[in-house]
Amino acid sequence: MFKIHFRFFSVMEERSSIVKTPLNNVLAQRRSNSYRRSMRSCVEATNLGYTSGHLTALRIPRSRRTPKSRDITKQVDPDQVALLVTKEWELSYVTPLYQFRHTQLKSYSKHLSAFIVSEKQQGLAIEVGQELGFKVNFSVVLGLAETDEDAETVFIQILSRQAFAAKDDAQKVVWSGWLTCVNGDLEYLRSLPSEFVSLPLLCTRGPESLTVLVKSWFEKTFDCCFGPLGINSANLQWLAALWIGCHPNINIQYLKLVWTLPTLPPMDVKYTIHPQDAWELWHSVRQDDTTDVSIEEVTRFIKGLQSHFFRHFRIELSAGSLMQVSTALGSSHHSGKIKIASPTYITTILQLLTECALLKMPI
Amino acid sequence: MSLLKPFSKLPGLNTANILLVENEEQFQQKLADTVVLQEKTVNVNVRLARSLPLPMENEESRPRIDLVVFIIHLTSELSFQSAETSLKYLDPGYFQGKVCFLVTSARNVSVPPERLVSVRTLAASLHCPLLCAEDQTTEGVTTAARRLLAILKVAAGLVPMATGLYLSTLTRCTVPSDIDQQNFE
Repeated sequence: MFKIHFRFFSVMEERSSIVKTPLNNVLAQRRSNSYRRSMRSCVEATNLGYTSGHLTALRIPRSRRTPKSRDITKQVDPDQVALLVTKEWELSYVTPLYQFRHTQLKSYSKHLSAFIVSEKQQGLAIEVGQELGFKVNFSVVLGLAETDEDAETVFIQILSRQAFAAKDDAQKVVWSGWLTCVNGDLEYLRSLPSEFVSLPLLCTRGPESLTVLVKSWFEKTFDCCFGPLGINSANLQWLAALWIGCHPNINIQYLKLVWTLPTLPPMDVKYTIHPQDAWELWHSVRQDDTTDVSIEEVTRFIKGLQSHFFRHFRIELSAGSLMQVSTALGSSHHSGKIKIASPTYITTILQLLTECALLKMPI
Repeated sequence: MSLLKPFSKLPGLNTANILLVENEEQFQQKLADTVVLQEKTVNVNVRLARSLPLPMENEESRPRIDLVVFIIHLTSELSFQSAETSLKYLDPGYFQGKVCFLVTSARNVSVPPERLVSVRTLAASLHCPLLCAEDQTTEGVTTAARRLLAILKVAAGLVPMATGLYLSTLTRCTVPSDIDQQNFE
């Protein structure tokens, strides 16, 4: 397979190590760090991608390691894993949080519940710690973080008593969300000042009003910004290749791809493929079962599916855009919705999404 | 193979001919109207095509094409592929300043960045300029038309002391590599 190697033949003077830079110089430090490291790690096949503010250069890998199926329950508590899977999450990106402490989660819970109640009942003074209609639970999901630089995942649940419920009825979860960072770009994470914690991916599920309240509380408390995260067609193709690659181990039952074609009126094409056929096509594209999957293999696989469709229906799918990819293992939508049905490959998917979030951030 | 040749016909007096190649055939019409309206001093003829090769029937009546512009919409993969296949039908003489790439929706969020990178690599390998255009607003179309006219007048030989080859060394597209990163500071 072609792997592009960046090699530097020009002689660059090594900069003396930067001991401590003042805060307003942190941007310069980030860039010089990345080119120093790029000299050493230039054998990795990557493209240079820029965050949407064009302030940080991150590496977009052109090839990824084939995921090994791993029993995640060895690392993470199975109950907590059950909280994350089989639900559809909506994705957003988060800029680094200022002075977020994993040790103060209890106080964050109290503050957030007071904030939500006070926003819902404008004009009434709410004391922190009172028995309130909304109860918030902050908890840490240990074990999802892959490297030392990743911060631990934080899971947030909002419970509320249902209207007309009896006094002793348990509160139901009305909203849940989690902030995570899995295998984030090491250069970027190391270049952040020490007061900042980076948990760039936020997954939420629940009423939009509560999502807005939680986000505004975070923005006020930790001076961060939120924004919607979509999954572009290249990443959807990576996910499709990931799920197809699992087929011999886990039966994916179907591979469904949805395209939108720019006709008048716009046409949606739902293309469902039998898993065994998809697996055979994927296997023939993967010439050697090496550890790396390259983007050329993924593009060839999708092009194979598209040309087969064209031969039968005379519709060129590449003229449209890929909107959704789903299998029995999970589904992902272009607008930023993801559902992970099985916990086996959760770290690989989260790693891909963390990368998307880091690229989308305006810093 | 019916290659489009740059110098096989005689040029017209005070005339420039531009060919807009676009697979979707949406933007080229607007751009053509604007180009013709913008230029007052030179006779500009705009020819539209979906892809190359051009039909044989018009071969005799077609004037000499001074600039070939490939319009690529980044929102669809097909646009890029069709432009790539059309490139084969151009005589190599065109790549000395008579070909230009025009890209739309480069800022669109749903476009994967890899697509723009591949267009840039293509343009850089052919030593052609790459223009980014905004096709939804009239100002965007007018700006794109003005930029194309500037390149067209040089390619048609209507600007004294400047040739297409000379201009292309100044305007050609480059692909950012890791080395360029240090020049940021």
